[in-house]
Amino acid sequence: MSRVRHPKKDIEEAIRHAEVHGWRVEIGGSHAWGKMYCPYNDAECRCGEFCIASIWSTPKNPGNHARQLKRVVDNCTTRKREADTAKQESDSEE
Amino acid sequence: MEFEFTLKFTLTTDSPGVDELVECLGAAGCEDALVGIGQSGRIALDFTREAGSAKEAIFSALADVKRAIPVARLLEVTPDFVGLTDVAELVGVSRQNMRKLALAHKESFPAAVHEGSATLWHLSPVLKWLGEFANYSIKQSLLDVAHIAMQINLAKEASQIERQVQRELLELVA
Repeated sequence: MSRVRHPKKDIEEAIRHAEVHGWRVEIGGSHAWGKMYCPYNDAECRCGEFCIASIWSTPKNPGNHARQLKRVVDNCTTRKREADTAKQESDSEE
Repeated sequence: MEFEFTLKFTLTTDSPGVDELVECLGAAGCEDALVGIGQSGRIALDFTREAGSAKEAIFSALADVKRAIPVARLLEVTPDFVGLTDVAELVGVSRQNMRKLALAHKESFPAAVHEGSATLWHLSPVLKWLGEFANYSIKQSLLDVAHIAMQINLAKEASQIERQVQRELLELVA
């Protein structure tokens, strides 16, 4: 892995979760540690503002911040739709 | 207690760049919010704020953002306007169950704010109904946040009413 790790373990885990799902991470800032970018950018996306999310260097509560980041990745409408389709396909195979 | 809510703002064209805005928000004490900057001209903050009450949490967050970005204009506090799918997700039941409940209790279920291709409710009365009539246990922090979010959104909308219209209408809709 080429990028710098986030100093807080919980947040580093949330960032890796985002990367596994195709999000791009860019580092930079002072209060901000960096940003993460959603891999999708289509007309059906309803997430809007959170398709680019800012990551803090020292959030008030690292556990909460990690949860917020993970929620954005898991709530992505495009990803949800793909997950639902995959689930339906695997259900019908059973 | 911790309160979860999102504040959405519009920015003016002469606002500083988003990276600078995020730094201002960090300096103003918004490091308990996830800042979303995916739409140009918009900024959204998903807060998990520790406070004595929902009102204190949301009002202090509004004050922090105002201090950080004086030109930001509040667009919406969520969760407030919702469809049944949103309610189902918030309460943790299936969408089908939520629809069944609403249809089975048409007389007592809160009236929608808008019915059309999408039907919308204010979340607060729906949560209260679920607690009182359907015996769902709704988290107090969610009930409180929904109540305050609705109050703020109503106040924000009401500020756009024209004086003359308001005077004539008060008698008609009372």
